[in-house]
Amino acid sequence: MSNKLTSWFKLDNSGKIFPEISNQRETNTFRIQIALTEEVDPEILQMASLGILERFPMFKVRLKHGLFWSYLDYNTKPFQITKMTHEVCSAINFRENNCYLFKVLYRNNLIAIEMFHALADGSGVITLLKSLVYEYLKLKGYSVMPDNMIKTKFEKSIQEEYEDANEKYYNKKNRKHIPEKKAYRIKGTLLPNNNTGLISGTINTQKILEISRSENLTITEYITALMMYTIYTTQIRYRTHLKSNKVPVKIFVPVNLRKHFPSETLRNFSYFLKTNMVMSRDDITLEELFNLVKNQFSEGIKKEELIRKMSENVAFEKKIIFRFMPYFIKRYALKIGYNMLGMKLNTMSLTNIGKVEFPKSIEPYIHDITFAVYSGKFNTVNCGIISYKDKLKITFTRSILETNIEKEFFRHFTDKGLDVLIESNYVEEFI
Amino acid sequence: MKRCDKCNITIITNHKYCPLCHQVLQGENDEPIKEIYPDTISVTRMILPTTKKVIMYLTIISILSLAIINWAGFNGSYWSLIPISGIIYFWFLVRVGIFSKRNIAFRLATLTVLMIGLLIFIDFDTVPDNNGWSLNYLMPLLLMSANLAISVIIWAKRLNYRDYFFYLLVIIVFSLVPIILAFVNIVTILWPSICAFLVAVSILLFIIFFFPKLITEEIQKRFHA
Repeated sequence: MSNKLTSWFKLDNSGKIFPEISNQRETNTFRIQIALTEEVDPEILQMASLGILERFPMFKVRLKHGLFWSYLDYNTKPFQITKMTHEVCSAINFRENNCYLFKVLYRNNLIAIEMFHALADGSGVITLLKSLVYEYLKLKGYSVMPDNMIKTKFEKSIQEEYEDANEKYYNKKNRKHIPEKKAYRIKGTLLPNNNTGLISGTINTQKILEISRSENLTITEYITALMMYTIYTTQIRYRTHLKSNKVPVKIFVPVNLRKHFPSETLRNFSYFLKTNMVMSRDDITLEELFNLVKNQFSEGIKKEELIRKMSENVAFEKKIIFRFMPYFIKRYALKIGYNMLGMKLNTMSLTNIGKVEFPKSIEPYIHDITFAVYSGKFNTVNCGIISYKDKLKITFTRSILETNIEKEFFRHFTDKGLDVLIESNYVEEFI
Repeated sequence: MKRCDKCNITIITNHKYCPLCHQVLQGENDEPIKEIYPDTISVTRMILPTTKKVIMYLTIISILSLAIINWAGFNGSYWSLIPISGIIYFWFLVRVGIFSKRNIAFRLATLTVLMIGLLIFIDFDTVPDNNGWSLNYLMPLLLMSANLAISVIIWAKRLNYRDYFFYLLVIIVFSLVPIILAFVNIVTILWPSICAFLVAVSILLFIIFFFPKLITEEIQKRFHA
């Protein structure tokens, strides 16, 4: 099947927690979706996905439980693509999905992959999706070239793609645990039936780059600061006397560590930066937040700090008492621990996947790309950003009915004279 | 393309209002368009099919009436436990044996172990004289046949052998129980236990001799810490 010596994998360090803490509301899935310029043919997509899975044995796995840990075992069942339903980043029903930990969805001109976070992170899924789209277009009979940017199905998989890079960079001496405080929670009316609302806005990349350059910031920094400001104006300002508004607003921003530490892995290899501010004043300005975010990001992105965060988690997993705790006890320990502490540490997660590039021969077939993450009971609004050519797409997913944050956020750009093209799944229409 | 002049955004949709501020959208679509995302379908709760409900009802009624008759004419024996456990086993047979989506080796192993448990229960708890037949004959013979059955399945469906292998190991380990019981004199008739033991050991040795990697891998992945 591959050049992997065994047919099973350990879950990587950051993936270990997800199978235990996920449920119907906290699904820990994310979606990357490509809109083609033409209708998708499901039969060809099915063939393409079967072909591509042979190249990526890492994704051809199912989740199983051993005595001490869950693990990923080779999946003998065939993979099946599914038609997209209204559900966005819903929990993957493994039994209905032939035990696979990800879904390939199609609808009209969309091809999407919904991935369970235990298996891979955004960068891994981008690699998979690129190969899938290439394979699909190839099977359709178009003359497309991989141009060394795409892993095609005739390539052999390499050992480095499976590695648990967290453990590789683990440093025993730099693993101090720093306890964190609970974060502010965005309030709203919870949508019934675990529905997720999705609103995305497409903005011209060049123009948004100009705006953030004028403030000496990167796009991620600019958007993070703006997000904090939006949360502040819509949720906190003039209500600072409330006790629930005196906790810090924390935006969780994942960083792709492949850019900082050499690694080829397709599995989870990302840590996070975090902004942190108690917004209990009535006169906070956007400029002030620009400085705050810039400082806190430059603190967090230091190599030692990234390794510390990584080692902190790996050290937790390496604790003897925890390692040899039987799985059925460990499972509940993780669940309870996460619900009490882990879940409440972020107000919102804001992920910027960055620029996705395709070979010149494929570009004409691709309209745009969307990236969305799940939203849960505590992180009620989450944000995903991805850019393709001149289209920067900011996607909000929400588990609440209110759209204040989205509205104020996009109005900031339209007030500056930028064109914003909105898409929505109109979840409010159907509840 | 439609516009919301309050939010100053453009949107391509068939809906009438702006998703951000819920104001009415201006303008019309230039051409008929398909909605990007599918309509939300309200999730209907899974309703038990009527047949399942009827069978469930009959089961509960019969368990209740058996228990009440036993209690009303109580003469020192809990005879109703035999049919009640039979009924419960029947439920497992339907649930695990027929409707479960797990693989066949899992189903076979589970049902065998349950059946043995049930028979031991009937043997010891209800018929005070003449007991021991379940441990002497049925347990070793059932384990032996399960062992042979799973081996044949693995041989026949070679493609999925990895999925089945663990359950074969479980049944082999269980097959060692009768011979241990024979040593402590709970099992008095030896030949069925010895047969089961021999079959289990020969299958185990076969795997160790011819597929050594399989067994180490299975142990590694199930017990890695």
